[in-house]
Amino acid sequence: MKLIKKNGYNVCFGIIVIILGVMPLLLQADMIKSTTVLYLAKCMCFAMVAIGLDLIWGYTGILSLGHGLYFALGAYGMGMYLKLQATGGKITDFMQVGGLTELPAVWKMFRYLPNTLIFMLLIPGALAGILGYFIFKSRVKGVYFSIISQALTWAAYSLFIALSPYTNGNVGITEIKSLFGSIKGPKNQGNLITLFYVTLVMLILIYALSRFLVTRKFGKLLIAIRDGENRTYFSGYCVSRYKNVVYVLSAVYAALAGALFVNLNGSVTPTQMTISTSVTMVIWVAIGGRGTLIGAVIGAFLVNLCEYNLSSGSLVEIWQYIIGALFVIVILFFKGGIVGIVTDQIPALIRRKRRKSGREEA
Amino acid sequence: MNENYKKNNVVLEIKGIGVTFDGFHALTDVNIDVKRNTVHFFIGPNGAGKTTLLDIICAKTKPTQGNVFYYPDKARQQKIRLTGMKEYKIVTEGIGRKFQVPSVFVNLTVLDNMILSLKGHKGVWDSIFFKLSEEQLQLIDDTLKRVGLENRKEVKAGSLAHGEKQWLEIAMQLVQKPNIIMLDEPAAGMGKPETFKTGEILKEIKKDCTVIVVEHDMDFVKQVADMVTVLHEGKVLMEGNIHDVLADETVQAVYLGRGGERNA
Repeated sequence: MKLIKKNGYNVCFGIIVIILGVMPLLLQADMIKSTTVLYLAKCMCFAMVAIGLDLIWGYTGILSLGHGLYFALGAYGMGMYLKLQATGGKITDFMQVGGLTELPAVWKMFRYLPNTLIFMLLIPGALAGILGYFIFKSRVKGVYFSIISQALTWAAYSLFIALSPYTNGNVGITEIKSLFGSIKGPKNQGNLITLFYVTLVMLILIYALSRFLVTRKFGKLLIAIRDGENRTYFSGYCVSRYKNVVYVLSAVYAALAGALFVNLNGSVTPTQMTISTSVTMVIWVAIGGRGTLIGAVIGAFLVNLCEYNLSSGSLVEIWQYIIGALFVIVILFFKGGIVGIVTDQIPALIRRKRRKSGREEA
Repeated sequence: MNENYKKNNVVLEIKGIGVTFDGFHALTDVNIDVKRNTVHFFIGPNGAGKTTLLDIICAKTKPTQGNVFYYPDKARQQKIRLTGMKEYKIVTEGIGRKFQVPSVFVNLTVLDNMILSLKGHKGVWDSIFFKLSEEQLQLIDDTLKRVGLENRKEVKAGSLAHGEKQWLEIAMQLVQKPNIIMLDEPAAGMGKPETFKTGEILKEIKKDCTVIVVEHDMDFVKQVADMVTVLHEGKVLMEGNIHDVLADETVQAVYLGRGGERNA
């Protein structure tokens, strides 16, 4: 039974992948709009962040309200490279406005693609590693960690606004094409499709790596840390090191997702590192179902697709309230989220019904 | 018994331990020698500092004064100062600890609980590529048999009965092959037969390691204790075998809570 259940998650993920995989074909057949495909690709990026958050929150029990920071750092890294591609390596308008005469050293790091691919993951990963080292070593946990993570995101946000000659402040990095060239318009459909499949492959890789980790002793240990941190210490494990590894891993996931996202979005702004973005990411995981990985994927897709379809019409004003209410309901009544409803609550209901009817027959 | 032999037999040396919490003296100048392969009880009324003492041995609490020394091997070639070490390192040195509230990993199976408690393989990399060997599985099976949980391997630890959780936690300590195992109220919340069974388990365990127990249940103490240290208000009141301790008047007075006027 347990085996079926475990594979059930993977089968479910497989179905999602297949559905996503045929989308570009539908686009070529003119059955769906290119904006839909673009949006689905963005959802895949969100799903990657959600998987990372599930590892750290669902499995390890550390609620981070600051993963928007790592998402944005990855996005800015890639964004800087793409902007330099657009300007041909020259300094940008906003730098000139800000009084710079030469390309800043930070930007030079992202001049070429290989450097960019390394630094866009290395910088967020190293930042998470250093922060995590001190936070976890001093045994900060629970809401205190959440508050710190939130404060850090806020600080980074303010910093990015303040350093506008380097970051273009509020406006962010705009007017950029994707790695594969422009993805706008019908004649660039091929580029969009390539980007879509690259994103899909990344999502599959991240899911597979995470699934591998949680089925190993490593994953059991994360659950052990969540359920009994003290006991884990006294079983001889350096809990803070494990926490830090997961924290860095989830930060790198977020950075990778951000880097892909900027290709799809065509711009990156500091709003991506606001607290509300980070909290929204947590909501995806909560609604989908914590501690299952697949729940994070489902949650990210479902919430964002709802938002896509609902927030355009008359619901745009109240969408935030709907998502908030949904979050509260899930936390209060459906702790396991959507996955929990399917795997625990519905079977329990059926069992109860069956027992009842059995009694009536007798 | 000469002095040297006596010394040789000591596995844990608690020397001049004192601890103060915000001006409150939880322990003052506590000196205890724990002998190898014995069941050593710390007893005393509430607030005597028993659990604090365990916390100090396994470095959960830092003492204000004094040291705890540990002699891993019989020849006493090695002397390890436990005070100031990290708790997870103390575990790898061979000192296990069971908490007052049964703390097993409720969302994992009994088998997984045991696997996580195995000796070695504590690093991150190790844990990713860990594979359970035949010998390890055998060791787990044997250990579970000792506490009578051999048929509950696939059950989630959270759904075990209270007594079974206590035994599982003891088994989790045993599977680490410790030199010293510390148990904080192992019989708490157990009925008579379960308590008796726990006692028999402890007698069995002491063949392989030293057992330090904090317990209130006097029948349980009588059943298994080799040595008893009575703590009172953070000080060692008396030490000896159970019969001497029970016969002592001050102990009786303190333990039964009538010591107020007599001590004054």
